[in-house]
Amino acid sequence: MVKCVENQIPLRIVLAKVGLDGHDRGVKVVSRALRDAGFHVIYPGLWQSPEAVVRTVADEDADWLGISLLSGTHMTLVPRIVEMLRAAGLDHVGVLVGGIIPETDVPKLLELGVARVFGPGTPMAEIIDFLRAHGSRTHA
Amino acid sequence: MLDDLLARFGKRDRLALARLLTLVARGEHLDAIRLALAAADSAASRPAPPVVALTGNAGVGKSTLVGKLAEYLRGQGQSVAVLACDPQSPLTGGALLGDRVRMPSRPDDLGLYIRSLAAVSGNQAVAEHVELMIRLLAGFGFDVILLETVGAGQGDTAVRELADVVVLLVQPETGDELQWEKAGLLEVADVVVVHKADLAGAERMESQVRELLTLPGCREITVLRVSSTKQQGLAELWAAILACPRHDARVGDARALLRRAQQVLAERFADRVQRVGPVVDRWKRHELDEAQAADELLQLLIR
Repeated sequence: MVKCVENQIPLRIVLAKVGLDGHDRGVKVVSRALRDAGFHVIYPGLWQSPEAVVRTVADEDADWLGISLLSGTHMTLVPRIVEMLRAAGLDHVGVLVGGIIPETDVPKLLELGVARVFGPGTPMAEIIDFLRAHGSRTHA
Repeated sequence: MLDDLLARFGKRDRLALARLLTLVARGEHLDAIRLALAAADSAASRPAPPVVALTGNAGVGKSTLVGKLAEYLRGQGQSVAVLACDPQSPLTGGALLGDRVRMPSRPDDLGLYIRSLAAVSGNQAVAEHVELMIRLLAGFGFDVILLETVGAGQGDTAVRELADVVVLLVQPETGDELQWEKAGLLEVADVVVVHKADLAGAERMESQVRELLTLPGCREITVLRVSSTKQQGLAELWAAILACPRHDARVGDARALLRRAQQVLAERFADRVQRVGPVVDRWKRHELDEAQAADELLQLLIR
């Protein structure tokens, strides 16, 4: 195996499951793929409140937050989290959304400030390339 | 940028603390941060908070117990900072930091700070520069600092230098007595916790550890059973931690003094970089060994 991230500072990304959504297979697959791509993935577990997610992002000094939602609550929870991140002075943290998101909702999420929405079947390389291309807005 | 961060840190800005910890984890601006902390320390002259390390094999319940201990201490009105280390892949540099899963989620509680750290393999089960991170958290004003090592087992003894008290976790039904003879950990532990004490075999485990500790040459170590599931033994554990001779105020003071003295020395050397440089160069060229170099440096300081 090739040591692919030599001399590169790993990005820190919080991957979060919010609310009562218990489907964590997707987020675990993404966690593993990002770990193997050299990222530092912080996974706080299921059933996080928006408040807890924002606290984790703040205390962990994360560059990115990935929110996994398969419960249809994205139009309720994502705006709240984005709003709370702003209020906490964390505008520099990039927000990604993954999971089951109807196509009609994607533009709405992007308008809120979400950087990208990844749906089912997204190749891991696409997520990895996106993160590498955008890097860290924190430590630019 | 760093000055701004340090100024915000001085005003107890939590985001500044978070960013400084990131810089330290990456090994950036270490000297500047050390100097700033040293100046702040001598102004405040606060007693150093106890630093308690929890170590033991993977799956023994370190994260869970750290979480329970943190909740217990919050209940006692003490603010707590947790540094939780998980392993970083030596191949990719990546890491999956999952310790928060087992720690209390208290988003509104500013008295609890949890930071996940990736520990490079072969680095003695803790992340790099943890000592400076501990000083940052102490400087921020946390009353207790809990350090969780990666799930390492034998021989990872660096925590001894970092922590005032080292708690070793073991669980029922793991290995026979010989396992303990092999472990370097028992030699650095101040307290041994038989965790998951609600499981069968905990008493036997406790007696095995106790018996081992009665062999000639062993220090006196507190052994107790704790169950995080049943919330049993936490108060006893904290009492045992505080009772450790390592946490003797004089030992703490002496350590604090040594740490400060180190800062002072670093500052003085920084002033005399012109004269220190040649010594460093000769040491690098192997014209001096460490002891000779140390003597020359001392001479420089005295003059």
